[in-house]
Amino acid sequence: MAADETHPGEFVDLVPLAQEHAELTYHWRKSARAVHLNEGAASIEQQRAWIDSRPSSEKNFVICLKTGTPVGMLSLIGIDTTHGHAESARFLIGDEPAVRGIPAAVEAMKLLYTLAFEQLGLRRVYGTIASDNVMMMKWQKFLGMKEEGRLRSHYFINGRLQDAVMFGILADEYRSQALPRMNLLITAGRSPAGRA
Amino acid sequence: MNELAAQVQEAIEQALRALNEERGPEEQIEIHAQTCLFGEASVLDSLSLVSVIVDLETSLSDMFDRAISLTDDRAMSRDPVPFTDVGALKAYILELLA
Repeated sequence: MAADETHPGEFVDLVPLAQEHAELTYHWRKSARAVHLNEGAASIEQQRAWIDSRPSSEKNFVICLKTGTPVGMLSLIGIDTTHGHAESARFLIGDEPAVRGIPAAVEAMKLLYTLAFEQLGLRRVYGTIASDNVMMMKWQKFLGMKEEGRLRSHYFINGRLQDAVMFGILADEYRSQALPRMNLLITAGRSPAGRA
Repeated sequence: MNELAAQVQEAIEQALRALNEERGPEEQIEIHAQTCLFGEASVLDSLSLVSVIVDLETSLSDMFDRAISLTDDRAMSRDPVPFTDVGALKAYILELLA
């Protein structure tokens, strides 16, 4: 599958970020839920320009429910096939009420890792998380990422300096540790009490 | 409710209270035995569910001085998985501790 195509899942699809998503993603980036991310575009026009300027080393996606409703965003950036690595970035659930009881976030991560490890053949995915973003650190550790280091006072986010906590996962760790846990959460969404 | 069940109930409620501390005033979760964790009428998305699971695994492991995993093969093999509501999760934890 070409990386710029939609990546379909059971509960969500990863749809390539396009101009039509500029206004929505701009508002997500300005919401309280994005408080731990770097400051985004200052206007919808800037967001459009930013979307247009994405380099070929990035795959930027909108997370859409199977109904087509966009609920979040997720990216694989810095794709380097020589060294076999890429960075997981810009993960944001913008419409949290729409994904309650639905394993949207976890399946989106699974689709991204499938792209990275199975389709692009990468050996490693890494990322940084602002040290105040405790929930995201718990999330990434639970899904198999290992803490690899810390860049002190690396970000100025939400009015204060924060460390960048560095995380990484290797392909074999994805298959042996992350995938079973992802599948468990996806199974939970499939249960008789589940919405989907 | 016996002492062990009360301890487990308190650990679950503490994990949900910790989640509430990270949520806005309009997103607060009502905590009781029927609180639906994941599935229809759930108040949690998968990010929040994982936060509760991680906090709960940590507190239970500290409380009972042994590693407690809520997401191993045993949980995977149950149908439905034990995260539907507080009552189901509590029953599963008590099984693990038995």
